[in-house]
Amino acid sequence: MRWRHPVFAALMSALFALAATAEEAGISVRDAWVRETPPGMTMTAGYMVLQNKTSRPQVLVAASSSAFETVMIHRTVARQGMTGMEHSPQVELPPNASLLFAPGGYHLMLLNPKRTLRAGDRVEIRLEFRGDLVLLVACEVRK
Amino acid sequence: MLTAVVLAALLAGVWLAAAYRENGSRAILLPDQVMTLFPAPKPLAAFAFKDHEDRVFDLSRLKGKWSFLFFGYTHCPDICPTTLATLARAHENIAKSTAGAKDVQFVFISVDPNRDTASKLRQYVTYFDTTFLGVTGGDAQLGNLAGQLGAAYQVAVTRGMENYPVYHTAAVFLVDPRARYHAVFAPPLDAEGISRRFQVLRELEGPKAT
Repeated sequence: MRWRHPVFAALMSALFALAATAEEAGISVRDAWVRETPPGMTMTAGYMVLQNKTSRPQVLVAASSSAFETVMIHRTVARQGMTGMEHSPQVELPPNASLLFAPGGYHLMLLNPKRTLRAGDRVEIRLEFRGDLVLLVACEVRK
Repeated sequence: MLTAVVLAALLAGVWLAAAYRENGSRAILLPDQVMTLFPAPKPLAAFAFKDHEDRVFDLSRLKGKWSFLFFGYTHCPDICPTTLATLARAHENIAKSTAGAKDVQFVFISVDPNRDTASKLRQYVTYFDTTFLGVTGGDAQLGNLAGQLGAAYQVAVTRGMENYPVYHTAAVFLVDPRARYHAVFAPPLDAEGISRRFQVLRELEGPKAT
């Protein structure tokens, strides 16, 4: 497949190169999904399994997506018999371990979707790790 | 004997509830970590909310039905949709049972009346299940019912901040058809865990509860 616009082509190859770096560095993601947005709501959450196959800790420092105005790394925490959300500026993946982003725990808080998301759609989320590693994650929208 | 065991476990502060056993016509509830069952259900006192159709939702609306109550708010991307989806599946399971779901209702109580108007609540709860009810009220009324159920919540309305923090219990409260606080389901919740225990409880309480 050929990219028509040279600048776009360069940009895309750069992105893929970066993404490849993270994969090669040994970070992978599986079971990535985003909850369908209930009508009238401007926020939802994204979940996945992050795997660090390296022998060093890896640190997730940011997330973004062209499908949402804002993406934040959040964690649902329990305190004094209540649950609430806390912003996690960064999340460390221990060496050779998996970290679960799942309901009731870590999640990507997705604010202001740019279009209505329906089950079956796909959205891409960009994860940034310390050391300029980037991973592009394809997420399935599920109800 | 069973009552004594249940009472002893409760007094010891142990999370109770229910592994269950069905022996032909006999079913019993045993202690486990999903459902805490109160040996002496607590009658609830008057409160007044409005539902998502703008109708009064008070104590009388809890009578004659088993009510699953969940406290939350619609600007909640993780726990609330997860719980409502779980409750929708639990409702489906109960509806498929022999006794059906005619005597059951699910009520989402918003602790964020500032943002959760009746129309917002209607859109939100009916997305998960068309029979779900969304209700809310003023601070005093929310505090009133939450206090009776021991349901903790905290809303930090912040001027100029669109997504202010809200904390709330993730438990599901079960009120019996005599409007008595009867049991509580502790998170993490799963649909089968809730529906199976509820069906045994309803069978045991059936004639007494209504």
